[in-house]
Amino acid sequence: MPTQENNDDRIALLQGTLDLLILKTLALGPCHGQGVARLIQRQSEEVFFVDHGSLYLALQRLEDKDWISAQWGVSENNRKARFYTLTPKGRKQLVEKTSEWRRLARAMGLILDNSFSPTREEA
Amino acid sequence: MFNRKRSQQDFAEEIKSHLELEADELKREGLSDEEARRQARREFGNVRVAQERFYLNDRWAFFHKTLRDLRFAFRSLRQSPGFAITAILTLALGMGANTAVFSVMNAVLLRSLPVFEPNRLVHIETSNPPRGTGTVDTHQTLSYPVYDAMRRQTGALSAVMAYVPLSNTKVAVRYGAEPEVAEGEMVSGAFFSGLGVNLPLGRGFSSQDETDHAPLAVLSSNYWTRRFARDPAVLGKTLYVNGVPMTIVGISAKGFEGVEPGGSTDFWIPLQNVPALNAWGNPLQDGKTYIANPTWWCLRVMARLAPGVTRSQAAAQLQPVFQSAAYIGLGSPMEGEKPPVLNFADATNFPGSDQEYGKPLRILMAMVGLVLLIALTNVVMLLMARNATRQREFSLRLALGAGRGALLRLLFMESLLLVTAGGALAWAFAEAATRILGQWAQIESSLAPDRTVLLFTLAALALAGLLFGLAPLRVALVGNAELALKTSAATSNSDAGKSRTGRIIVTLQLAMCVVLLVAGGLLIRTMRNLENTPLGMDVNGLVVFGVNPKIPSIPEGYVLYANLLGRLRAMPGVESVTLMEERIGSWWSDNSDMRVDGRLPDVADGASRTVRSNVIGSDFFRTLGVPILSGREFADSDTVNAPRVGIVNEEFANRFLPNTNPLGHTIGTDDGRFTMTIVGVVKDHKYRSIDEEPIPMAWWNYAQIPYVGGMSVEMRVHGEPLAILPSARKVVQQFDPNLPLIKPMTQRDQFDTTISQQILFARLAGCFGFLAVLLVATGLYGTLAYRVSMRTAEIGVRMAVGARRGQVVWMILQDSLLLTAIGVALGIPLAMLVGRALTASLYGVKPMDAVSYFLAVAGVCTVALAASIIPATRAASVDPLKALRTE
Repeated sequence: MPTQENNDDRIALLQGTLDLLILKTLALGPCHGQGVARLIQRQSEEVFFVDHGSLYLALQRLEDKDWISAQWGVSENNRKARFYTLTPKGRKQLVEKTSEWRRLARAMGLILDNSFSPTREEA
Repeated sequence: MFNRKRSQQDFAEEIKSHLELEADELKREGLSDEEARRQARREFGNVRVAQERFYLNDRWAFFHKTLRDLRFAFRSLRQSPGFAITAILTLALGMGANTAVFSVMNAVLLRSLPVFEPNRLVHIETSNPPRGTGTVDTHQTLSYPVYDAMRRQTGALSAVMAYVPLSNTKVAVRYGAEPEVAEGEMVSGAFFSGLGVNLPLGRGFSSQDETDHAPLAVLSSNYWTRRFARDPAVLGKTLYVNGVPMTIVGISAKGFEGVEPGGSTDFWIPLQNVPALNAWGNPLQDGKTYIANPTWWCLRVMARLAPGVTRSQAAAQLQPVFQSAAYIGLGSPMEGEKPPVLNFADATNFPGSDQEYGKPLRILMAMVGLVLLIALTNVVMLLMARNATRQREFSLRLALGAGRGALLRLLFMESLLLVTAGGALAWAFAEAATRILGQWAQIESSLAPDRTVLLFTLAALALAGLLFGLAPLRVALVGNAELALKTSAATSNSDAGKSRTGRIIVTLQLAMCVVLLVAGGLLIRTMRNLENTPLGMDVNGLVVFGVNPKIPSIPEGYVLYANLLGRLRAMPGVESVTLMEERIGSWWSDNSDMRVDGRLPDVADGASRTVRSNVIGSDFFRTLGVPILSGREFADSDTVNAPRVGIVNEEFANRFLPNTNPLGHTIGTDDGRFTMTIVGVVKDHKYRSIDEEPIPMAWWNYAQIPYVGGMSVEMRVHGEPLAILPSARKVVQQFDPNLPLIKPMTQRDQFDTTISQQILFARLAGCFGFLAVLLVATGLYGTLAYRVSMRTAEIGVRMAVGARRGQVVWMILQDSLLLTAIGVALGIPLAMLVGRALTASLYGVKPMDAVSYFLAVAGVCTVALAASIIPATRAASVDPLKALRTE
């Protein structure tokens, strides 16, 4: 029987990144929780593994913060589902968090790509 | 905030829908129905954990849990009501006493004037008055010309306010028919506006009102409430002040009762310039009111600094103006005379209250602080003892799966409940105690606890809560699941370390108890000494009251008082009646240097030449019961046309006329304007207050000096002194129906007012000492009883193998005797320090008073013994078999 531990190439999400990914996913349009999970997994080329329990708690947290809103609706295959939509406040957060993340990624890249040696120091 | 719109069912619904959607998708990817469902579930992870976390993230959950914990803590406290009641009462007493003393301290010492920006207000004071002037206070009172010059200054000061009482006691007022008395002040036009006091009803005064000496009055909110039942219709009505009609135009803001400490002004009128309303109720001097008289420095002056001006800048700018104004009407300064220097004193707080109440209140605060400490440690000991006996309960709870956190939460909830209940009770207790304190201290200003007091109490409670929560921590953490199952009642509780903490606490409590008892003892002995101080007169049967009749001219004044004396003396039940200008035993005295035989008497270097003088009527010393040593006292025949005669006391004769017969010598004022011939010498007796030392005194006859004003009437009567007042009032009102009796009371009560503060101080200190003893006794009893009960099994074994009852009792007693001895040894040096700090407040007792120390030590020992004997004998009466069976 396959277990989760077998998926070696999957990366557990960093603290705080899940919120950003949810916001980004919802920027494409309203979606239910299961769809959000699938989209994140697919768009990251199956690199990210999303813990579903955490995802729903994160959705709830964002809803409490008023960054997203939710409504029960019907899915394309006629199932009852709770659909999440990005609020204007959430959109603003998305822009902010994205640029924050870019800066962080760039800084990390600079350090990791730099093949510095301790003997050659630049002033 | 607390309410989340979403229910748990809704969340479960969403998870269900997720699983279905996921299964659908997996089926599309080719999995079988069964397989897809299982895969979806597995991918989701633990559904229950997610739901649990959803629930916990909700703030309501926290609330529910807290409520459950509270309910549980309440039930667990109810199981031991004795413990709960003792802890709550102890806390309430300790905390309540602290809150009460702190609210008095806050009201008297800490609270700012209820005015706008009090930090920009200053009192204008002088280093010294110029020569040739009379003052009410050497530094704090100024003359009208000085005020007038200050008020004309613009720039440094944005407002200058002068105020002066209409009397040194109360002043006669009438609203409607009945004459009564109230405290009144004359104030300058800028008084209310300059201080920034609001008038919620009506208006204050303007500078025009001051210039016109307008007949207006503003009532204090307190007086309006007390006397007029907050009737808004009083505006526009007439209030007669010393018979002069004033129209009520305003009511001052609540809480504003003047700027003097401890007193409460009932009404204010603009500065007046008529004889009936002279400053301090004094008679005119050379026919001049305070406004026309530059030699009488009687006004209190305050100022508001202009924005951006510092105190020193303002003082520098005003100094020259002040100095030239000080000599208006006085001529130029004498050679070598120190010119008066202007000084700005802080007006944030009430002036003078610090000197008057500061030290006693701080000492009391320290005492109640100790009481609180004893109370808190008591409760901590109770808690520790209780939780130690619950060790098995805790272990069992742990064994049954309770988390350590849950256990701690329970303990904190219990202490929270105790602190809340104790705090609420303490507040109620403090409210009552504050009211009683205010009455005893004769502080008429409002003592109602304000926000500062509330914060103080809450801070103390929070501290207590934390302490109570932390105390049982160790006990709770020590217990573990196996312990309960392994050990028996007798052995699981005999933790040596714990009882060591208890012993240290008991010892410290005993030491603090010694300190409090010594302090209380010293002060109570001071009070006894003061109460039993011989006054040099017979005050029993004496009653005194003031009158302030309208006196059109000095000769008419003489006649009026002679007639009044005559009619009062004719009343049935009256033995003798006399008059005096300064009421004896009221702190007031007239102090000055006097010439003896034409010149100021020689005194040894540094000795004082000051003589206290009083103006009295005939029959004065016979009425008081003061022995006349030689010569005679004033008689009705000593009139303005007869030679002016005077009387001195022993101290005067000994100091200024030694080795000669004082009779026949001439004495007089230091400026040489008035002289009199000594015709009598009387025995020294108390004048100003009970605790004064003998001082040279001289008496003038009112009928022979050119000032006649308000007087106090002293009557010696048969039977109950106060019973004469209604008929005396009738006699007085035959002269003027507007005339009330001012502050009528027995002469004994009048003298007692001069030691009321010491008496209050002593009584409170005694109360706190008693409270400390009570708390220590309960604490000691509780601890010992608990420790004995822990050793029941041990005692049973000892008795079973042959120990006698006496031996068991001794074993228990030995322990507490040791603690007591150490406590006393620690307490005595501390008490000595406290005694030294108290020196200034003692009268007739040395700080090292052996009796006080002996009584304190005896008291502590008695309490310790009593608290030990009961548990000890109970332990010894244990039936060995029963004790062993408690296993």
